[in-house]
Amino acid sequence: MLSPRQPMFRVLRTLPRLQHASRRWSSTEPPPAGGHSYTIGTSSLLKPTRDVALRTQGLQWVDPMDSDPSRDMLGRETRKMNMYQAIRDALSIALSKDDTAIVFGEDVAFGGVFRCTMGLAEEFGRERVFNTPLTEQGIAGFGIGYAAMGHTAIAEIQFADYIFPAFDQIVNEAAKYRFRSSGDFDAGKLTIRCPSMAVGHGGHYHSQSPEGFFMGAAGIKLVIPRSPIQAKGLLLSSIRDPNPVIFMEPKILYRSAVEQVPIDDYEIPLGKADVLRRGSDLTVVSWGTPIYTCESALELLAKPPQSISQHVPPSVRSARVELIDLRTIMPWDVETVVESVQRTGRLVVVHEAGRIGGVGAEIGAEIQKKCFLKLNAPVKLVTGWDMPVPMQYEKFYMPDNIRILDAMVETLTF
Amino acid sequence: MFRPARIPRLSQALVSRVSRVSHARGVAGTTPQLPQHALGSLPTSTSPITSKLHFFNSVMSGEKKIPTYRVIDGAGQPIEGAEVPEIDKALALKMYEHMVLLPIMDETLYNLQRQGRISFYITSFGEEAAVIGSGAALAPDDEVLAQYRESGALLFRGFTLDDIMNQCFGTYLDSSGKGKQMPAHYGSKKLHWHTISSPLATQIPQAAGVGYAIKRDPNRRGKNCAVVYFGEGAASEGDFHAGLALASTIPTPTLFIARNNGFAISTPSTEQFYGDGIASRGPGYGVHTIRVDGNDVLAVFAAVKEARRRCIDEGRAVLVETMTYRVGHHSTSDDSFAYRPRKEVEDRKRLDNPIVRFRLFLESRGWWSKEEETALVKRLRDEVNAAYKRAEKLPKPPVEEMFSEVYGGEMPWNLKEQREELKGLIKKYGQTWEPWKSELKKHKGEGKEFLE
Ligand SMILES: Cc1ncc(C[n+]2csc(CCOP(=O)(O)OP(=O)(O)O)c2C)c(N)n1
Repeated sequence: MLSPRQPMFRVLRTLPRLQHASRRWSSTEPPPAGGHSYTIGTSSLLKPTRDVALRTQGLQWVDPMDSDPSRDMLGRETRKMNMYQAIRDALSIALSKDDTAIVFGEDVAFGGVFRCTMGLAEEFGRERVFNTPLTEQGIAGFGIGYAAMGHTAIAEIQFADYIFPAFDQIVNEAAKYRFRSSGDFDAGKLTIRCPSMAVGHGGHYHSQSPEGFFMGAAGIKLVIPRSPIQAKGLLLSSIRDPNPVIFMEPKILYRSAVEQVPIDDYEIPLGKADVLRRGSDLTVVSWGTPIYTCESALELLAKPPQSISQHVPPSVRSARVELIDLRTIMPWDVETVVESVQRTGRLVVVHEAGRIGGVGAEIGAEIQKKCFLKLNAPVKLVTGWDMPVPMQYEKFYMPDNIRILDAMVETLTF
Repeated sequence: MFRPARIPRLSQALVSRVSRVSHARGVAGTTPQLPQHALGSLPTSTSPITSKLHFFNSVMSGEKKIPTYRVIDGAGQPIEGAEVPEIDKALALKMYEHMVLLPIMDETLYNLQRQGRISFYITSFGEEAAVIGSGAALAPDDEVLAQYRESGALLFRGFTLDDIMNQCFGTYLDSSGKGKQMPAHYGSKKLHWHTISSPLATQIPQAAGVGYAIKRDPNRRGKNCAVVYFGEGAASEGDFHAGLALASTIPTPTLFIARNNGFAISTPSTEQFYGDGIASRGPGYGVHTIRVDGNDVLAVFAAVKEARRRCIDEGRAVLVETMTYRVGHHSTSDDSFAYRPRKEVEDRKRLDNPIVRFRLFLESRGWWSKEEETALVKRLRDEVNAAYKRAEKLPKPPVEEMFSEVYGGEMPWNLKEQREELKGLIKKYGQTWEPWKSELKKHKGEGKEFLE
């Protein structure tokens, strides 16, 4: 027989645990999982002022302020936001303008493990912003069913590394829903958001860049933003696109990338790359976090520090390099890349995922087909190695600035 | 000192605390009402604490199996204590007609496949009562997500024999998907029948999402439910678990109908699960559940009708397991006598035929006669034959149709380029290379859209 005292004792002992749990819930301290990069914060690619932000290339206002387009920027405001705040802002706009829109996934109701859904449940109610049981195949399937009814489903997969249980639902179901019914049904109103890419200490399962696996899933679009302004506009486009979209958010940028973000509803079109820097000697194509690594590599190229200067011939230091942010991985903007390589004759593609079967291989094959006579050097891929992301070796695994620099020098001097 | 009077008070305080927490987390958290157990309960559970070391392995008390609900016996007579569901003559005859039609249509299409005139087929032999009894209990605009062996329910809601044949032959009039999928993958937005896909069980969590959309639509809430069919084999997929977990924690009017026909291709259900069938899993998810004799169309009809009512009234998931036997081969790609004795199948057909059972019931009511039976069979045979002959003569859709509906909105550049590439190749080889030349003739327009 147990002592009659036991139940009371247990009850009392568990109370502090519960209190502790709720304290942790209400805490606003972001969890460390997102990592942080100080170098990104100082990037010249981020837009520090209202005027620069409002002039963002390709930005399309959804609600015109003025019938005269030249005055369209009057009255537009911006607010300083990091990337998770910009995403939250996009979600809030999507929810307020579309009554059918719902946001769901693991732990989204309290604000999400990366804070992207902070306060949305309070603002829009638990019927529209809610937790699901811990099942990625379920989250994707649920979203497909909801979208097949013509309603807007915004699902979150907690880490891109955990999207694979939903691979079947995404590739066999979401991607083919429209085709197999020849347009009678579709899952076009589904958007799946997932934090992706490396954070410095994510190991195998908090670092992956799985876009390559989805590239061949005809029927799906794939989008990866590089900054808060981009994230908001591309996410709103993804949510409203008539196709299922996987939206991969480079998680190291959640807090590191900060810029002035227009507070109104705007979109940035899918399928269009962004030329960040004009050049005529070499084209560098990348997306997500490595865009900033490329920026840093370009600085190294122009002004190599003493320690490595012997590897950077003076002739290449003044090379004019065109930097392209692909933004949409599928369908990728072949026109912009081809036009660029036709002028430069050289291409380096940079991504974090491994090389074999990666997006770079696809781009390389297409470019050698379309630019064969204009190429002055082999297309070079700077990628993760063909192995799982290794915890203690990340510095030597990731395409860092020195590897990108080396690839640019090799290509320019080929 | 032990003061018993304080225990309930303390645990009560805790209960309200726990329920607040769970309310804040759930979509529609229900406040658990704790019975005041002598030994209390754990803070994160409503399970009473017990001092007995007792393992259990059945959802029924006394280690009993879940019973199977039945209304009429093999002679079509109500079994002892059974209440025959209210059913008028017109509905009963409509159900019966479809139960007779289904095997006639199946046999015809099965034979057409054997003769190589269609590429594949899947029959419903033996499951006529389960499929049509359940289909008849639904509203015509309930959203159905099927597996593949439920065409009877689709016919019941108005899919025509021409629709069936055009899909199986993949003609240009195929309303399900313009010849893009294998035979028997039907769909109709008009009839609220989500297009079937081959990957098993994927429709199960989708149904929870469909149920949620219905719940959020003021025009359909309280009026419709999402219905999902699946076999007992498919229920072993992770998606089954996901679907039940979702539809119960995020309460939705989603009706789960398991067809337990004893086999998944060659795998008997004894190798599929060790527990008490699919029904025993329902309570594990907190889902209202019933097991029903799937060869008794009245029992299926009554169970699904009540399941649907609860589903819609309570806005919660309900699970129905229909017990049948797959009399036919799994599909035209399967010879089931490789893994089960022919005699077993013959015995099942003879001893428990769902169609005969219902016919005897109808005759006992004076609603059906031998003459009507003969006339019906002849009429249905004629209709099926006429429909397949119409479809067989029709061309396939234009080849260009292949490139449509991969994406909504603008066609991406790669597909535009590939369409041009194929166009070039068809121009080059389409009138000279025999395999292409003869194939082009089968398509509407004979590839002319590529030759211009
Ligand atoms: C994910 C997946 N795995 C395997 C198959 C191949 N397959 C098609 S039907 C089937 C058996 C299904 O059995 P059950 O769910 O019991 O339905 P039944 O055929 O008995 O009606 C299998 C294994 C498939 N279609 N999808």
